[in-house]
Amino acid sequence: MTPPGRTRDSGAESGSVSGSLSGGGAPESAATARVRRDRRRRTGGPVMQLNLTAMIDVVFLLLVYFMVATEFKVGEEVYRMDLPDRRQARQERDPFDLDEEPLRISVASNSFGPRPYRLSIDGPYPQPEDFDALYEFLRQRQINELTSGGLFAADHPVIIQPTRTTSWEHAIEAFNAAARARYTNVIFAQPQ
Amino acid sequence: MSAVYKRGNAVLSANLTPMIDVTFLLIVFFVLVSQIVEVESVEMELPQPTDPLTEKFGDEQRAVINIVPRRETGQIEGYRLGTRTYPPGPEGLEALTQQLAALLEANPALSVNLRADRNTHYEFVEPALQAVANAAARVTGAEARGKVNLVVIRDEGAPP
Repeated sequence: MTPPGRTRDSGAESGSVSGSLSGGGAPESAATARVRRDRRRRTGGPVMQLNLTAMIDVVFLLLVYFMVATEFKVGEEVYRMDLPDRRQARQERDPFDLDEEPLRISVASNSFGPRPYRLSIDGPYPQPEDFDALYEFLRQRQINELTSGGLFAADHPVIIQPTRTTSWEHAIEAFNAAARARYTNVIFAQPQ
Repeated sequence: MSAVYKRGNAVLSANLTPMIDVTFLLIVFFVLVSQIVEVESVEMELPQPTDPLTEKFGDEQRAVINIVPRRETGQIEGYRLGTRTYPPGPEGLEALTQQLAALLEANPALSVNLRADRNTHYEFVEPALQAVANAAARVTGAEARGKVNLVVIRDEGAPP
């Protein structure tokens, strides 16, 4: 038994052909023929489809895995430090240049005593007990409009002098004290 | 006869193509990011100074030196630059310096991030600083000067 739609379509086509042959009506346009073809395709014939369900499952599993496993560097920040230019060190220096005596801060780690570190400043200065005291010392001795009796300009060389066994944490804390006090020329020395 | 009858029952289906596109893009993103993070950051406990006056990472190009710690001893396994690890000692440091000099030759404005564990002894950190300074001195570019970014962890409660 022929489906009703198919019968109707074929009938319409035959009518159209007979009409054009007899010259009684207008010829069928290309758009009309395309509409008929599409309708025929929709109503009958197998449609090939890809089953994407399994792939989507796997893709989502991968996505969840990478989202959970990826660990971003949360909270990491940096101190910017310019290293001394070694090429300048090899050049001859102007003998009339006045040297600025650097402020040398020694820091050592130890496993005994009230604190796990020990600080000392070279020169006739009060010795700081901790890093906050070091920061206060550096801040009060800086020449600026906020402090009176300052000794050091902001670009005065400050040398952090750790020992060989000083932990990096304590060396960084000393560096941070100088950076917080707005000194701009802070470098690390070779270990004692 | 109505058109609905001719076509049969309506089949409801969602167009999944955009979702699959976006999902694949997300996967590619996470794959790339996880590889970059793995290369750049070795697992270690970074220093966490009080009230740090630090800056966020800039947009400049950078190389990352990881000083790979030996757990809880203050000693180190070596210096890692990119995917290569250099042993501590004169030979390893010379190789590290050469690699850094090559990178600085290609990009004189390169800055170097230095990541070291908070318990690592300073005697192992300072040679890495020396290596960067020596590499910069070997490069003839006018802008070539050692720039080091000391990487720390910022306390969440610290003021900005």
